[in-house]
Amino acid sequence: MVEEKEKKAINRLKSMHPLRAKVNETYLKSVEAMQAGKPTVWAMLNWYYGDPILKAMDIEVVYPENYGAIAAATGAAQQYLERADADGFPSHLCGYSLNTLGYTARMMKDLNGQIPPEAPFGGMPKPLFLLSSAAICDARYKWFQALGRYIDAPVWALEAPTPGVKEFFIEGYYDKMVDLEVKHLRDFVAFVEGMVGKKMDWGKLEKTTDLMIEVNRVWYEVNELRKAKPCPMHSRDFWSAMPAALFLAGDLEDSLRLYQDMYNEVRDRVDRHISAIPEEKYRLVFAELPPWHSLGFFNKLAERGWNFVVESFGYRPPIPIDLSKVSDPLERITRFNLQFYVGYYEDARKQNVLGSSLAYPYVKYAREWKCDGAFLHPLISCRSASTHLPYVADMLMEELKVPSLTVEGDIVDLRLFNPEDALARAEPFEEAMEHYRKIRKEEGFDW
Amino acid sequence: MSDKNKGLSKAREIYSTRSQRVRELKAAGKKIIGYPCVYVPLEMLTALGLVPYRTYGDIKEPISEVDRALPSSFCPIMRSCLDCAMKGKDDFLDGMVTIHSCDPQEKTAHVWESYINYPYFHYIDMPITVRPEALEYFKSQLNDFRKTLEAFAGEKLSTDKLQAAIKSHNRQRALVKELYELTKPPPPLISGTEIVQVVKALMSLPVTEGNDLLTEIIDEVKNRTDKPEKKSARLFIWTGTLDDTDVMKVFEGKANVVMDESCGGIRSYRGEVKITADPLEALAKYYLYEITCARSFRQATIGETRKDYDRDLQSRFGYLKGIIKEWEINGAIILLVRYCDPFAFEIPDLRDYLNSLGIPSTYIEYDYTTGALAPMRTRVEAFLETIS
Repeated sequence: MVEEKEKKAINRLKSMHPLRAKVNETYLKSVEAMQAGKPTVWAMLNWYYGDPILKAMDIEVVYPENYGAIAAATGAAQQYLERADADGFPSHLCGYSLNTLGYTARMMKDLNGQIPPEAPFGGMPKPLFLLSSAAICDARYKWFQALGRYIDAPVWALEAPTPGVKEFFIEGYYDKMVDLEVKHLRDFVAFVEGMVGKKMDWGKLEKTTDLMIEVNRVWYEVNELRKAKPCPMHSRDFWSAMPAALFLAGDLEDSLRLYQDMYNEVRDRVDRHISAIPEEKYRLVFAELPPWHSLGFFNKLAERGWNFVVESFGYRPPIPIDLSKVSDPLERITRFNLQFYVGYYEDARKQNVLGSSLAYPYVKYAREWKCDGAFLHPLISCRSASTHLPYVADMLMEELKVPSLTVEGDIVDLRLFNPEDALARAEPFEEAMEHYRKIRKEEGFDW
Repeated sequence: MSDKNKGLSKAREIYSTRSQRVRELKAAGKKIIGYPCVYVPLEMLTALGLVPYRTYGDIKEPISEVDRALPSSFCPIMRSCLDCAMKGKDDFLDGMVTIHSCDPQEKTAHVWESYINYPYFHYIDMPITVRPEALEYFKSQLNDFRKTLEAFAGEKLSTDKLQAAIKSHNRQRALVKELYELTKPPPPLISGTEIVQVVKALMSLPVTEGNDLLTEIIDEVKNRTDKPEKKSARLFIWTGTLDDTDVMKVFEGKANVVMDESCGGIRSYRGEVKITADPLEALAKYYLYEITCARSFRQATIGETRKDYDRDLQSRFGYLKGIIKEWEINGAIILLVRYCDPFAFEIPDLRDYLNSLGIPSTYIEYDYTTGALAPMRTRVEAFLETIS
């Protein structure tokens, strides 16, 4: 009964389902291919930088960060966390990393390289190599280095320049970032060629790159449509649909078609003033990763009129950029990757919101998507996705008079998010949103 | 009675009243520039007549301001540093230089810039690999730093001045290494607690004054009659930062601490910057390649296509082998400041390496508060019992 009611609360996009099904199907096919012995790479989310290379080389990729969420949701993570703990890794490390460390210890030390039988979704087979990334946090390259005690897979650590908002505008700065990344990527291609024993098909890389850029452009436009009132698409649909653009999951031509279908559906909803929830009373921005294990929680909030209209900077497509005149595909990949990080910098500098490259987008989102409140979800074991949140709350209030609700949780430890507790805070927060709506009006804001 | 204005007593005095000297220098017209991490190339500040001043946290200072800027489950050192800054404890600073040595340093840098207004603020990005293209990028970062620094100082940074500053800082590195030589005899001629005081004093003074102080201290220590008492264990402390004598005293209650791997100790003094025609490149190489912090991604062979765990450990920790032998170390304390990911991921590997050398170790975590000291003492005493 409750389930039926919950299903009605958020009006999910029809076009999301085939897109999500494609992602799931791709994952299962990938697992089969890996189990059949096809070269597999474990990779960190790398924001369009290493992935197009792997895709063009026909390498199966598994993302231990995603697998950590799966292991958490299915309850398998606990034994892996305990194993990592027993091996001396501090328990406050990233939950995804502890899951992978424990999983790998079990696979390599107990089972001689065989996938653990209890591993959900077919498990992660032994990788040919590991692709880590310096982007966003230290854990994402230190964790793969730490796997060396269990597994004899070499590691490639992808560089990720991280400019300050102000310093980025020093003359020549951007070009130096491009130089670094292109040279780095060229060496990475040579490394991959050496590992898989075949040469890069540059024509295929060109095509992969262009499709990646176009898929993300359409996906960006879908999200722009969500500025409409009422908002036609809920964050739940964003999170379900994002892997095809973010991880390049599945065939990119299929993905392009499916995102275009999604654009058409959302456009139609805008034209017909169809909302993603029954009655949009409050428009909210969500930061950062959602409680994957408790997504039903959003239905309860939808019943109260909370529409989540924009979310999760780290997983949104870059602001579109014209790269058609960049002939080298590695440079095109680089500039697209950098656009994810620095696409907001010009605006951030103008607004003098310097506190974090991760923080400014939320100020922009709240302003442009006309949000009444922000739901901030700091994660105990993912500090990097949480560090900027107090500053975000401060800036949203100072710049826009938008209040924030902070509810702690975690990406793996399900006990750290209490949906009932969070729901108990909904009513007082609604009063705060109402109050600041009046304040904004008094101060001349247009929402 | 020792002279408070000389040697170890002076270091102890500066340790207790850290900012007194830089406040005097500021009153005399000098500009004081803060830095929270040893990866900031101080030579560039010194060359322009600016006084570098390390901004530390304070384990005795209750956190009261920083919660509005940084979350509670975040590097307690950076939280404490920013908390002190938000309370105005560093209000004499004319500027701040931050660096992407680790994620908390990077994230805090930008928040710091937003909450505290300095006439000068610069953030240096730093790659994680020790690859050639990373070096080139890091050099360009130092070049950008040079540009903003010159604009602030109103003066060009000449090669001659920079080389002279490198020589002064290299002199300091050599003197610190000489000081650590004095921990070799049993008992050591200087305690770990005194070394914490000396290093903190050095990071509170212009380099030439620091060098004069070190020269006095080395002379004093070589001739002292009140050397530390010989204890049953000779310990090595491996940590991110150990910057408070109360923490060091916990280890020295029943042991001699004769060596550390800490940026409140020898870490930033181990190597030396090469004197070359391109000093900026020499600085980039030193800071990117030579400082042995867990933040860097090192491999046995750059771009290796085969993984060999033993070679990997050797490439990351191999420099410790000679130290352990020469300083006759018989136990290691792995001290982790909570939420320090780069060091936390190293722990099992480091213990594997220490085991391979036959060195017993224990892992202790603390939250950078004085409340952690009592349980820490219990853990240390239990460890010392097992190795004695």
